[in-house]
Amino acid sequence: MDSNKKLFLLDAFALIFRGYYALIKNPRITSKGMDVSAIMGFTNSLLDVIRREKPDYLAVAFDKGGSHARTEIFPEYKANRNETPEAIEIAVPYIQKILKAMHIPIIEQLGVEADDLIGTLAKQAEKEGFQTYMVTPDKDYAQLVSENIFMYRPARMGNGIEIWGVDEVKKKFEIEHPEQVIDYLGMMGDAVDNIPGLAGVGDKTAKKFIAAYGSMEGLLENLNELKGKMKEKVTANAELGLLSKQLATIKIDCDVTFNAEAYKLSAPDAEKVTTLFEELEFRRMKDQFFKLFDADGNPATPETVKPSQVRTKSTAGAGQFSLFDAGDDQSNASKTTSRQTIDSTTHHYQTVQTSGLGFKLFLQNLTAQTSVCFDTETTSLDPLVAELVGIAFSWEKTNGFYVPFPEDRQEANTLIQQLLPFFESENIEKIGQNLKYDIKVLDKYGVTVKGPLFDTMIAHYLINPDMRHNMDILAETYLNYTPVSITELIGKKGKNQLSMRQVPVEKQTEYAVEDADITLQLAAHFTPELKEANTMELFNTIEIPLVKVLSAMEIEGINLDKAFLNSLSSELSQDITKLENNIYEQAGETFNIGSPKQLGIVLFEKMKLVDKPKKQKPDNIPRLKMYYPTLPRTIKLLPIF
Amino acid sequence: MPAQVNPNTQRVHTDYIQTVAATGRLSSNNPNLQNIPIRTERGRQVRKAFVPRNNDHVLVAADYSQIELRIIAALSNETAMMEAFNNGEDIHATTAAKVFQVALDDVTREQRSHAKTVNFGIMYGVSAFGLSNQTNLTRSESKELIEAYYKTYPKLKAYMSAQVDFARENGFVQTVLGRRRYLKDINSANAIVRGAAERNAVNAPIQGSAADIIKIAMINIYKKLNDGNYKTKMLLQVHDELVFDVPKNELDIISKLIKHEMENAFKLDVPLDVELGVGDNWLEAH
Repeated sequence: MDSNKKLFLLDAFALIFRGYYALIKNPRITSKGMDVSAIMGFTNSLLDVIRREKPDYLAVAFDKGGSHARTEIFPEYKANRNETPEAIEIAVPYIQKILKAMHIPIIEQLGVEADDLIGTLAKQAEKEGFQTYMVTPDKDYAQLVSENIFMYRPARMGNGIEIWGVDEVKKKFEIEHPEQVIDYLGMMGDAVDNIPGLAGVGDKTAKKFIAAYGSMEGLLENLNELKGKMKEKVTANAELGLLSKQLATIKIDCDVTFNAEAYKLSAPDAEKVTTLFEELEFRRMKDQFFKLFDADGNPATPETVKPSQVRTKSTAGAGQFSLFDAGDDQSNASKTTSRQTIDSTTHHYQTVQTSGLGFKLFLQNLTAQTSVCFDTETTSLDPLVAELVGIAFSWEKTNGFYVPFPEDRQEANTLIQQLLPFFESENIEKIGQNLKYDIKVLDKYGVTVKGPLFDTMIAHYLINPDMRHNMDILAETYLNYTPVSITELIGKKGKNQLSMRQVPVEKQTEYAVEDADITLQLAAHFTPELKEANTMELFNTIEIPLVKVLSAMEIEGINLDKAFLNSLSSELSQDITKLENNIYEQAGETFNIGSPKQLGIVLFEKMKLVDKPKKQKPDNIPRLKMYYPTLPRTIKLLPIF
Repeated sequence: MPAQVNPNTQRVHTDYIQTVAATGRLSSNNPNLQNIPIRTERGRQVRKAFVPRNNDHVLVAADYSQIELRIIAALSNETAMMEAFNNGEDIHATTAAKVFQVALDDVTREQRSHAKTVNFGIMYGVSAFGLSNQTNLTRSESKELIEAYYKTYPKLKAYMSAQVDFARENGFVQTVLGRRRYLKDINSANAIVRGAAERNAVNAPIQGSAADIIKIAMINIYKKLNDGNYKTKMLLQVHDELVFDVPKNELDIISKLIKHEMENAFKLDVPLDVELGVGDNWLEAH
């Protein structure tokens, strides 16, 4: 039997909750107002496992209707739980749809919890020679770990993934066999699941008891060896202890059957996945998803799981494209998307010749309009150093013009003079996305933009303040249209990235006029929405006039005392070194103060500032401050990093 | 920050972002002015580095004092608090006198400091737990203090509840100028999630109204400076403060202009108060 067959079993709710709470302070909201944090968190974990580990077999287990077996013996089990947040309730059907589209089996059974399902399946798969990885942050699973069953804790907050095998579990819990995790959990209890445990027994005592007596039963048989209060308490709670152990035991005899064939990871239905991601407005996730298909050229060796074996192409079904061997499908994203693009839309974008009769006619036409969208193309994201490469104009849907600018500054200045009647017209409304940028660029050419303004970025900020406002997202959300991406035009960030100036003028035209066209369409879309939200006045009397005020302030800048600043910088770095040394002295070791994890270990485990830190997070620090006067020194250092 | 000096102008050109903070406030980048600490020695040193363009100019910093507290007093129509502002009283001392039921002259430093913490904490939905962390009070003392506070300012409490009710019904709250913040979690069954939305229902209109008001002031001042052909330039906006580069010969008239425009940017039932400072660097002016 092939000892390298890897099975990954995911605990859906553990990952969903984790994703949801990770984003609780800054949740992901779609334009329709739906909180998709939980869906995103889960899907991220799923794609991450697939990307890193390239599993052969994978399935996802869901809780459904609590645990009948456990509430039967202990009605209070998980009775203290808060209502599930709506965002999570909404998330589950979506996640199941995504899984179905990816052809990943969903395991659920009414009245049975995911850990019991996973426990049962893992043990069955072990007998068939599989290596099983239980993907979950929940430490309770440690009891199932064996030679061939591992816990796989996904990456989180900068910490890498963790894989717990037998040795890791033994070390973490200070026990001899992973099954003793059950005794440990039974003694400790679990506030989250409302498992009572033995009163007065915490982490340390539980470990001590297990070291001495081996198990809950062993402890109860040797009650006479205990002393004082502890003896009383444990004796009185003996039954509760046994019950707790029973509650903490993950079942390995549920009514499910491991079916290798069904769990085999196969090619997903890319079209369905795309449609779902688009509905959820998962732009980056979609890109990542299609990168997974793209791994043919360089199948990465799994980073962590050992033993490992790189998959070979032959594992793909004949004629069918496998998850990792999709070959050349750079174009997959656009092929399968339902969104319009420049290629699927009839459009008329023209490059304007900047001399002769044609240009005259263009200028006549431009200045005869009452409302025009414009967009500058430049050499830099910083408007104060950017040079004009061209300006796009659009006043009619799917139509527009591009005026390319010469590199020679003198010639550019002459050309812009001819556009002054437009820019300085008090009557023509100027539409744009982030107009402050264009205003600042044009200011360097001596152009003051006058007349009414309509900024689509600001309009959307008033309509939907919590969403993101960049043009590509707005276009996809409100116009169901994916604009040409800037990286297609000038390449990815880095030293090989082209300047807009180096792009052939026909391509500049297509790209730039598309932007102006799309922005014009967005403005038409947002105008009634601003009215509906009663924010038109706020838009026209505050936010829009403020654009010009802020532009002027930014262009003006402020003087800095550079000599003073330089001496301050060197003083600061000396201070930092001093503070660091002071901290290392108190901690008795050097460590990375910038790492919350390492700081947590020093503060809570080594220096034991708090007996039972619930979470090693900075929130705990203010409370500590009163008792530990030395601490502010550490804290003072934190914001500097 | 030295790296952010523009090589052509030899000045630093902050980039303001108008669309990031959902409350309506501005944020800034390169450098981010918001995260220069206000009260620490380092923050003070950094402010010292911001200077006028030359010796003929000074920096003027104009700061709205207690603007959020004034807004909540006016919006809640809390007479006791409005009176204190209208009479130009020290609001924290007045609050302390009322809450601890002592004569104004008998308010101790500590009592004033506690009152101040509650005054600022209340609109962020401070809990007894939070208050006990910020002060030397125990949790039960903090709880009593908050209860006494609400008794002192009953309309404030009523206003806060009304905001939450409004949000529940409409799904959003709004500022004095109708800037909306949508709170879709306001009816969540999960207490933690709902609690955060409820605090936002109270806080967003206050912070957002403060943002509205300083924005009006900026627009009006900018216009006045242009119309009057003054050489003074408005340079920075951070928190509730505006910073100007002012030629010394314009100082008197400009100081009056700034104070007048800021204090009259928006009519509330309590006066807006602006503190103005002048100096050879931002620290001195601040």
